[in-house]
Amino acid sequence: MVSYVVFLLVVAGIYALLAQSLCLAWGVTGLVNLGLAGFFAIGAYASATLTKWGGAPVPVGLLAAMLAGAVAGFVVCVSTLRLRDDYLAIVTLGFAEAVRVVASNEIWLTGGTDGISGIPAGLPRDWGQGFHLAALGIVTAILGLVWFALRRLVASPWGRALRAVREDQIVAAVAGKRVTRLKAEAFAIAAAIAALAGALYGHYTSYIAPEIFQPLITIYVFLAVTAGGNGRPTGAAIGAYLLIAFLEATRFAAEILPGVSAVQAAALREASVGVVLILLLRLRPRGLFPERNQKAPA
Amino acid sequence: MSLTRRLVLGAAAGTLAVPYVVRAQAETFRIGALNPITGAGSPYGTGMQRMIQAAVEAINSAGGVNGRRIEVFAEDTQTSPQAAVLAAKKLIEVNRVRAILGTWSSGVSLAVIPLTNEADILLMHTSGAPALSTPPANAKNLGYRYQATNDRFGRAFAEIAVREGFRRPATMAFNNASGIGNTDGFRRAWAAKGNQNGEHVVYEPNQPSYRAELLRVLSTRPDVIVMGSFLPDTTIILREWFQTGTPVKWIIPAWAANPQLVQALGPAVTNGIIAVDSVSNEGAEAFTAYDAAYRRAMNQPGASNVYAAMTWDMANTLALAIEQAKSFETAAINAAIRRVANPPGEAVSAFAAGKAAIAAGRKINYEGASSVLDFDEFGDVTPDFGVFFIENGQFNRRYVVKI
Repeated sequence: MVSYVVFLLVVAGIYALLAQSLCLAWGVTGLVNLGLAGFFAIGAYASATLTKWGGAPVPVGLLAAMLAGAVAGFVVCVSTLRLRDDYLAIVTLGFAEAVRVVASNEIWLTGGTDGISGIPAGLPRDWGQGFHLAALGIVTAILGLVWFALRRLVASPWGRALRAVREDQIVAAVAGKRVTRLKAEAFAIAAAIAALAGALYGHYTSYIAPEIFQPLITIYVFLAVTAGGNGRPTGAAIGAYLLIAFLEATRFAAEILPGVSAVQAAALREASVGVVLILLLRLRPRGLFPERNQKAPA
Repeated sequence: MSLTRRLVLGAAAGTLAVPYVVRAQAETFRIGALNPITGAGSPYGTGMQRMIQAAVEAINSAGGVNGRRIEVFAEDTQTSPQAAVLAAKKLIEVNRVRAILGTWSSGVSLAVIPLTNEADILLMHTSGAPALSTPPANAKNLGYRYQATNDRFGRAFAEIAVREGFRRPATMAFNNASGIGNTDGFRRAWAAKGNQNGEHVVYEPNQPSYRAELLRVLSTRPDVIVMGSFLPDTTIILREWFQTGTPVKWIIPAWAANPQLVQALGPAVTNGIIAVDSVSNEGAEAFTAYDAAYRRAMNQPGASNVYAAMTWDMANTLALAIEQAKSFETAAINAAIRRVANPPGEAVSAFAAGKAAIAAGRKINYEGASSVLDFDEFGDVTPDFGVFFIENGQFNRRYVVKI
């Protein structure tokens, strides 16, 4: 039971990192990034290929993943400069699918649909429980760092400018903010965080394949960020932990229900996610930790 | 908001109670049924899970294994490696299962096998990817594949193409390890016979139409199209092909060309399709027993779900191996699996008979419902392949191919 909870905490920590990414791009800057799973995949593949086939140490892999994510994020953002809202959402969704299709067809680079197995973890896996606890420590520490940095960034003048862009980019431009540059910076940093999450996922579970990076991941993270409060890193992180707790709790709840077939139980689990989302948006539209208004500097 | 919080808290409290509920029961041998109830594998998953439960029921009513009942904990992989990993971890750590049975797609099995290896338990799966035979995936030799590898299916397809006198075969594959494994196996074997391979198209899953891919293949005027496909996509492709009116023959694996396909498309479209499966002997007693159980549980013929026949065999071989090992330890059970499944020995087709024979000190050889189930050193099976022609909606077996 303990190791199950530890495993869930690691996975939830990785989701919380994704939530940090989405919090910055969507919550703070207003860029609807439905391509989260794509950046997640880019990070996972960058680090896995470098460490498994290139023999690089895992920390180098993590850095390379962030770099790859940032570059991809920059390219996506710059090539969609004139798109906002729904249009940006559709393009980023397409980007994530493109990443997945490339990963399943460029066999020389990614191993194709077989994926990459036996990815080194940087820690000896035969530590048993110790390995999982160490992984939990590392993922949580990285999450803590990212959370702390993001809080500082969001509270800084730069963060304020991002929120101005989110609310009305024309007004922000008139006020002398360099909208394009701000958006590109925020999007690239967000993509780098998502890529870091992907790299950690690959090293921890030792196996990645294109079918892992389905749009469902993006949807789940949107759910987590919406639940937690999309403008605050704290809310996004807590939302991710609550999401994993909820998803796993439905597994046990479905077992307790009598006379429900396996298919019905699966459908009920999915339905319950939808019901909770609707209730949440009805009762707490701005999430558990709504964004606070910042006082203007005196 | 209070409702949500209550829900979460209530469910979390339920989570805490689970291990106590589990512990309160008498000592059992626990296995996990980890099947694709939802997602791409959903046409097969429920039947697979029900057949594990049905086989275990029969085993328990024959007195269980080494005096213990087998207890089944069921989970859904959602046909997604990521969801499957969470479900497998729950089965291993919370339910403390000693074997996981019935993972379906290769991605799922490749994602789950590091967890079963780490926990030192068996994984019995129906996936086709060759990577599952060797390290790192099968580093501990605890993985067993109940389906013939896709490469072997491909080789069987090539034998059939030669025997039927086809000259210009084209291939179409669903883009996953299983689909591409079938067509690659075919193309290698076909080329090895000194023949020329035709057009090869790999298509992406979940498309509403495959017309573009289909026209690309048909434009090269093949006389047969060899498929590495699944039921939903095969249904669409065959319908669209029939609308074009182009004469061509099809060789399709039996998990896609099954009675459900005929039901969906009608006898006219499916007439003349060659369906290939690994049921070496449809008269086999194990198949008869499985078929009866499948009809009871699912109200459909057993032949409509070859994977369910495999999970039926998984439960039976595992139980016989425990009986043979006289132990509940993984190492002992693992060592006994080939002993009860492979020749030489007295052919048995049900747990009760095998148990009696083991008790009498005889060496047994389980002949399964899905194939004769003889495992090689990698934990793979090499069955004979039954070749069926669909004629007026009926599956008529013409001959058997050995590779």
